[in-house]
Amino acid sequence: MSRSTGRRREVRGRHLALAVLLLVPAALASLFVGAGELSPLDLLRADSGAALLLLESRLPRLLAILLAGTAMSVAGLVMMHITRNRFVSPSTAGTTESAVLGVFVATVFLGAESVMVKMVVALLFALLGTLFFLWVLRKLTFADVVVVPLVGIMLGGVITAVTTFFAYRADLLQSLSAWTNGDFSSVLRGRYELLWLTAAVTVGCYFYANRFTVAGVGRDFAVNLGVHYDRVVNLGLLLVSATTAAVVVTVGNIPFLGLVVPNLVTLVLGDNLRRVLPVTALAGAAFVLACDVVGRVVRHPHEIPVETVAGVVGSVVFLLLVLRVRRVAG
Amino acid sequence: MAAPNHRATGRGLTAALAALALLVLSACGSGSDAAPAAPASSGPVTVTHAQGTATFQATPAKVVVFDIGALVTLDDLGVPVVGVPKLEGLPERLAKYAGERYTKVGTLFEPDYEKVNELAPDLIIVGGRSAPAYAELSKIATTIDLTVDNAKFLTSLRERVEAVGAVFGKQDEVRRRLDALSARITEIAGRTPAGGKRGLIVLTTGGKISAYGPGSRFGLIHDALGVQPAAEGLGTDIHGNAVSAEFIAQTNPDVLYVVDRDSAIGDNGQAARRVLDNALVNGTNAARNNRVVYLEPFAWYVAPTGLSSVESMVAAIGDSLS
Repeated sequence: MSRSTGRRREVRGRHLALAVLLLVPAALASLFVGAGELSPLDLLRADSGAALLLLESRLPRLLAILLAGTAMSVAGLVMMHITRNRFVSPSTAGTTESAVLGVFVATVFLGAESVMVKMVVALLFALLGTLFFLWVLRKLTFADVVVVPLVGIMLGGVITAVTTFFAYRADLLQSLSAWTNGDFSSVLRGRYELLWLTAAVTVGCYFYANRFTVAGVGRDFAVNLGVHYDRVVNLGLLLVSATTAAVVVTVGNIPFLGLVVPNLVTLVLGDNLRRVLPVTALAGAAFVLACDVVGRVVRHPHEIPVETVAGVVGSVVFLLLVLRVRRVAG
Repeated sequence: MAAPNHRATGRGLTAALAALALLVLSACGSGSDAAPAAPASSGPVTVTHAQGTATFQATPAKVVVFDIGALVTLDDLGVPVVGVPKLEGLPERLAKYAGERYTKVGTLFEPDYEKVNELAPDLIIVGGRSAPAYAELSKIATTIDLTVDNAKFLTSLRERVEAVGAVFGKQDEVRRRLDALSARITEIAGRTPAGGKRGLIVLTTGGKISAYGPGSRFGLIHDALGVQPAAEGLGTDIHGNAVSAEFIAQTNPDVLYVVDRDSAIGDNGQAARRVLDNALVNGTNAARNNRVVYLEPFAWYVAPTGLSSVESMVAAIGDSLS
């Protein structure tokens, strides 16, 4: 890793407790923000309309936010380790863009009515795109810490160009943006449940965390420690691709999420994946929650998609991070 | 180096002369208040359009049309055209325009200038989505822009349709149909306040919902037909205001007007019915009283400025309020 792993700051219970303490009230508060009028008082009065709103819209939306937020930031964290570069995440390695291409292909050519079909095709595309990125990475002789994600971003740009070209030919540019812009406004009961898959993936990441950490130190080192390096890396890619595909299919792309959250957390807590994973997950959830609440409040009762808010906040943080690394690296 | 310069000066001169001629002609024309006053048979006809005026010595024979609304109007009036953009998902009545008899001159958004040039048309019609190509197309032939201003939809529509009538000598038919349309609108607008129904217009695409209010592309419903808007403060952005099912539930309209964009463009994405079939929308007055009105996507979304489109649009809203 580019940063010293020597800083072994323990993630004590208090870090986790603090994160939970911040997140839980925010999550509860978010239940009462939205286009419909709903206050805790309405619920206490056992108003049937209020209960409906809560169960149909607010609770599913909150769960979708928490699931997508945790999943994408954990995916980013895993990706950081696999590629041994802290600026590589699904959105800077072509993974997200490939998943989007997959969604497009499934919708147009397979006429995919079923979300599962879309999801599987998106996963395959995400996996292929990421593998291609890793292949390109191996060919790079000048693998500077900032150059690597730049290559990924360019690769993503090329894939997006392909998608855009076909969408243009099929007269579906506007539809494409509707499918892929990260947005929780259409989340209702019955329309987000696919995201629970990502919860399973996140748990899987936790169990493999130590191996990812070792892989993150380098191939030779990992092999010396008796870790099946290739198997671990491939598994990681599969998990990351599955997460990205599920999130893109259900809510669309949330830019910078997998990039800035793991970076900020590891800046403070160090690089041991198993230790920082729970905090990263919670921080990711908090990040998305904050962005979505802002999007719901700014133009109330209309909405600004979470993608826009996350893009604005995320790009600023990303720039600061890049500048910081440049400074540290001298 | 010299040759292009020469040509440039030549073109400049021609343009200046043309402009002068136009000025003189339009000065003649401006005496009469409404532009298409002159009878079709004799003398030049000058019409005003969204980006200027145009003068015709004779009825144009070869017409290329990029605006689908204008195509609908021309079809209504029995005016033949030679070139149309690539069109898909046309209703049965217009399906012939997708066929080989009509030269395909590019897309709605991007004309194929070579093809247009080859056709050597007497008149090119743009509007709405194709309006930005006006400047480039008018270098090839006389071009008119039939874009209708949403802020004053009916007045603007009348001007444009009357211009078409004047150019092709169909003033009488145009006047008769526009007058009938006005009467119908007045009748509908006259009875809506008594009904007191509050309406909300939404468009669905790719599972997302956006809402439209007065002054928007679907504003006709509120502005001219007098349906009270169920939601305040909706902007007039071309792509509407992104909203959620919650918003519809909170607004609780008496009539919910739905434009299904995905079916308008022949996409097999999530149909509007599936997007709107949820407990929140189903709880509104509109859904409970069976007043969720699915508007005909071609007329409303693709060709909302065609004469018969507007006739059918007005009729649909009239029916929804009865």
